[in-house]
Amino acid sequence: MTQILSTLLSHYRRHPGQLAMLLLGLWVASALWSGIQAINATARDSYARADALFDTQLDQLERRDGAPLTLTDYHALRQSGLPVSPMLEGEVVTQDGTRLTLIGIDPLTLSSNNALSQTDSSASLTDFLAPPWQTRAAPDTLAALGLERADAPGATPLLADGNRLPPLVLSPPLPPNTLIMDIAAAARILSSGDKVTRIVTAPDTLTEAPDGLMLTRATSLATPGQLTESFHLNLTALGLLAWIVGLFIVQAALGLALEQRLGMLRTLRVLGVSGRGLILALSLELILLGIIGALAGIASGVWLARVLLPDVAATLGSLYGAGVGQELNLPWHYWTGGLAVSLGGLLLASSGVLWRAARLNMLQLGQMQAWRSGYRRQLMLMGIAGALALITALTLYGWLRFHPPGEGLVAGFGLIAALLLASALWLPLLLALVLKGLTTLTRRRPLIHWAFADMQLQLPKLSLAMMALLIALATNLGVGSMVGGFRLTFLDWLDQRLVAPLYLNAPAEQYADIDAWLAERDDVSERLLTRRSNATLQSVDSAKGSRTLGGPVELYGITPGESLTPHWPLLATQQGRSSAWAAFDEGSAFVNEQLATAENLSTGDRLTLSAPGINETLTIAAIYPDYGNPSGQILMASPQLAARFDAPPSSMGLVLSDNADVEALRTALNERFDLGRDALTDQAEIKRIATEIFERTFTITRALNVLTLAVAALALLASLLAQARTRRQQLAPLWALGVPRSQLAWLNLAQLGGAALVTGLLAIPLGIAITWGLVAIINVAAFGWRLPLYLFPGEITVTLAMAMAVAVALLAAAIPALRFWRASPRALLAEETHQ
Amino acid sequence: MLKLDQIHKTYMTPQGPLRVLENVSLTLAPGQSLALMGESGSGKSTLLHLAAGLDLPDQGHIALAGQNLASLAEPARAKLRREQLGLVFQQFHLVPSLSVIDNLRLQARLAKREDADWSAHLIERLGLEGLEKRYPEQLSGGQQQRLAIGRALALRPALLLADEPTGNLDETTADEVLELLLSLVHETQCALLIVTHSLQVAAPLDRCLRLRHGRLLDAAL
Repeated sequence: MTQILSTLLSHYRRHPGQLAMLLLGLWVASALWSGIQAINATARDSYARADALFDTQLDQLERRDGAPLTLTDYHALRQSGLPVSPMLEGEVVTQDGTRLTLIGIDPLTLSSNNALSQTDSSASLTDFLAPPWQTRAAPDTLAALGLERADAPGATPLLADGNRLPPLVLSPPLPPNTLIMDIAAAARILSSGDKVTRIVTAPDTLTEAPDGLMLTRATSLATPGQLTESFHLNLTALGLLAWIVGLFIVQAALGLALEQRLGMLRTLRVLGVSGRGLILALSLELILLGIIGALAGIASGVWLARVLLPDVAATLGSLYGAGVGQELNLPWHYWTGGLAVSLGGLLLASSGVLWRAARLNMLQLGQMQAWRSGYRRQLMLMGIAGALALITALTLYGWLRFHPPGEGLVAGFGLIAALLLASALWLPLLLALVLKGLTTLTRRRPLIHWAFADMQLQLPKLSLAMMALLIALATNLGVGSMVGGFRLTFLDWLDQRLVAPLYLNAPAEQYADIDAWLAERDDVSERLLTRRSNATLQSVDSAKGSRTLGGPVELYGITPGESLTPHWPLLATQQGRSSAWAAFDEGSAFVNEQLATAENLSTGDRLTLSAPGINETLTIAAIYPDYGNPSGQILMASPQLAARFDAPPSSMGLVLSDNADVEALRTALNERFDLGRDALTDQAEIKRIATEIFERTFTITRALNVLTLAVAALALLASLLAQARTRRQQLAPLWALGVPRSQLAWLNLAQLGGAALVTGLLAIPLGIAITWGLVAIINVAAFGWRLPLYLFPGEITVTLAMAMAVAVALLAAAIPALRFWRASPRALLAEETHQ
Repeated sequence: MLKLDQIHKTYMTPQGPLRVLENVSLTLAPGQSLALMGESGSGKSTLLHLAAGLDLPDQGHIALAGQNLASLAEPARAKLRREQLGLVFQQFHLVPSLSVIDNLRLQARLAKREDADWSAHLIERLGLEGLEKRYPEQLSGGQQQRLAIGRALALRPALLLADEPTGNLDETTADEVLELLLSLVHETQCALLIVTHSLQVAAPLDRCLRLRHGRLLDAAL
C-alpha cells in the first residue's frame, strides 16, 4: 500500500501546482468555516455565562418616576418583609482605556440559586464581604486589566481614576469584561453614595409591584442567546457559502489530478494492483492531504476569528446589548468538529472522482475520455440537477407564500441556496450553448472561430471555477445591495424619526416643570415628549378570532404634532394616514413591524395589554417600520400612555423656531434646572452614533463577502494555473501555423475575460433575486422587518459584476498567458512533442 | 526557396551548453525535395525549426522565400510561416477544438487564401470524405496525419516542412501516408524538406543529406 501511495503522490512532485490548488481549496474552505464557527462558539460561551447572571434570572424593581433607587428604598422594602436584594452597577475604566462593567451585590440577600451568590465556604464569604473585599472576574477579563493568569489571584489592579480594585479571585463562569464585588466595595469605587441601580428578587416572589415601583419579570427579558440567534445564523450561512466555494476548488483539482493520472492508474492495475486497493490508496491520499489542509485551515480560521472578533463583539454589544469576550474561547469539540467538517467536505468533493475511478475499465483507463461526448453527458446531468434545484426553489417559494412572513428562516436560506445551485449548474450549459452559437456565427473569421471553439474545449476544466465565481459574485451583489438598501432605508428612517434638532434627557420628575417652562419660551416651537414602559401582550382579538399570547412588549409614547406626524413612516393603515393619526390621538395604538410579523397582527386588531395592576385594550390603527429594533413595540400618544399605563417621561425633542439660539437655550435650561451639559443632545450627534453602530454591524458581513469573492477568484486562478501547461500545448500549434504569440496571448485573455463577463452578466439577475430573498424573506424571518428592495444599477451592479469578473479573469489569465509569451519556442515544441 | 548558410545553434542545458548544429549549410530550390536524415539527437528537428522560423540560429543566415529570417521580427516571421510554409509534425498538432474540415482550412483561412474547391479536392484525395464534421480525437492515427498533411497543403505553400511525418504510424499506414504526401506535393509543385531517419521515406526524394552530431555529412543517397 505504501508503494501504491507513494506512486500516486509522485504525480504531485511533477505537478506541484495541482497539489497547491488542492490544499488551497481545503485551506480556504476550512479557514472561513472554522473562523466563523470560532466566533460563534466564543459568542455562545459568553451568552451562556451571561445567562447564568442575574440579568435574566431575577425579577427587577425600578422607580416608576425614573429617579434612582437608594438604600432607603431598599430598607423600606425589607422592613415591609419583601425578600429583595440591592444591586449596584456602573462602569470602570482600566489603565488601557477598556470599560468594564462593575456589579456590586449583597451575597447574603441575593437569591441563593444564583451563581454569583454562591461561595465556596463561609471563609470565602467573609473574604467577599469584609475589607479588603474581593473582585471576581473571568480569566478573559484579565487582558483588559493588564494581568497574566498566573499573576492574577490576589492582584489589586489600578484603574484609570486612581482607585485600586480589591484582590482578584478568578471565576470562570462570569461573563467577559465584568467585575463582581460586594456592594460596599463597589459603592466606594463608583462613588455612588447610597444610590443603588436596581433592586432584585427571585423570580415570581412578588405578585405585584410595590407602590411607586415598576416590576420587570425575568421572563420578559430576552437572553442574549435568543436575541442574537439570527445574527449567528446569517454568519453560519455565509461561512457555509465560503466552504462550498472552497470545495469547488478541491473538486476541480481532484478532477484534473485524476484525469492526468489515468495512465498511471492503468499501469498500476496492469502491474497487479486491485481496483479496491487503488481506491483505498486514493482515499488514503485524500485523507492525508485533507488533514494537512484542514489543520492549516483551522489554524487560519482561528487567526481570522481573532481579527474579526472585536467588530463582532462591538456589533453584538450595540445591537443586542450582548457582551461577547474579545478572546477566543474554544471548546474541544470545535477542533474535532472543524476537522470533521473539512474531511467531510473533502469526501463530498472527491466522491465523484472516486466513483469515476472505481468505474473505469482497466483496458480503457489509459485512453483520455473523448472530452466532447463525456462533457455533453456531464452537461446533461448538470442541466437535470439544475432543473431539480429550480423545482426545489419554486416549491420552497410556494411554501413561503402560504405561510406567515415571519416563518421560514431555514426555508428562505434553502430557497436562496437552491436558486444559487440551479444557476451554477446551468451556467456551463448556457456557456456551452452560447459558445456553440458564436462558433457557428464566426465560421468565416478563422482566429475568432478558433477562439470560440477552443473555449468550448476549455469549458469542462473552467466550468467549476466559473460556477464558483457566479455564486460568489451573485452573493456579493445580493448582500451588497441588501446592505446598501438597508443603509439608505435606515438613514431615511432616522431623518423621519429624528425631526427635532435637539433632544433633552432629564430626570423623569423634572419633565413637567421643564415642559411648562419651555412652553413660555418663543425659541421652542414644539415639545415632543416621549414616554416608555413595558407590558405583557396578553391576547389579540381579530376578525379571525381571539388568541392568547403572553409575550413582553415595549410601550413607547410620542407626541404627535405638525413636526412628527407628516414624516412618521407607516407601512399599513386601516383607512389612510390621516384617519390613523386621528385614531392615534384618541387612544388607538400603532405597532411596529416586528411585533405585527411575530404575532401576525393586522390593523383593526384589538390588543389586550397588562402591566402590574393595569389591564388595557387598544385597537391597532397602523403598522410602522422600526429598523434595527430587536423587540416588539407598541406606539401610543404620550398623554394616552401616561394616563393608561402610568409611563414615566423618557426624553423630549425640542423643535426650535427659526431664530432660536441653541447655546442660549442650553445655558438657560442649565441655569433653571441644573441638568448638566450632557442633558441636551444634538440630532446630528444621535444620527452619528446610530450610523456608526450601523456601519460596524455590517463590517463582518462585508469582510466575509469580500473573502468569499476572493476565494472564488482563487478558484479561477487555481484552475487556470493547473491547466497552464495544457494551454500552452494547445496554443503552440497555432503559433507554429503562423499566428503571432502576442495575438495568441491577447486572444487567451479575451477568451477568459469574455467568459467572466458573461458570468458577471448572469450574476446580476441572480444577485437581484438574492437581494429580494434577503430583504423579503430572510430579514423578515430573522429580524421581523422587511426592507424595501433597492437596486443600484448605475453603481453597485455594473461596477461590481463587470469590474470584478473581468478584473479577476484577466488577472487570473495573465500568468499563464505571460508564461506562454516568455516561453522559448523550443520549450513549447518540446511540450508539444511530449504531449 | 530555402537557403541555410553556416548555421550554428547551441542550447543551454542544466549540464552546460549543448551544441546542436555546427556550420550547417544547405539550399533547396523551388519544387525540389530533400530528405534530412540522422539519428535521434543529431539536430534534425532543430534544423527544421530554424528553417520554419520557429527559432533563430546563434550564427549564420537563413533565407526563406528570399527573406532573411534573422532580420524579421516575430510577427513578420509568423506571417511568412502563415503564408509560405506548410508544416507537418510527427505528433500531428491538430487543433482539438476544431472539426476535420475546420482544421484542414485553418491555415489557408489564416493566410486569407482559402480555396473551397481545393479543400474539397484535398478531402477527397486524403480519404476523409464523410468525416468532415468529426473532431481529431475521433480519427485514427493515419487519418489524423493525413489531415495534418491536408492542412499544410490547403494553402498551396511554397515549401512543405515535415518532421518525421510517418514516425507515429504503423508500417502499412506509413506507406499510404507517404505515398499520398509525395503525390500531393507533386500536384502542388511545392518544395519539400522531410526530416526522417527512415531510408524508405528518403528514397523517393530528389536529394538526401545526413546529419551527425550537428554536422552535415555528404549526401547519403
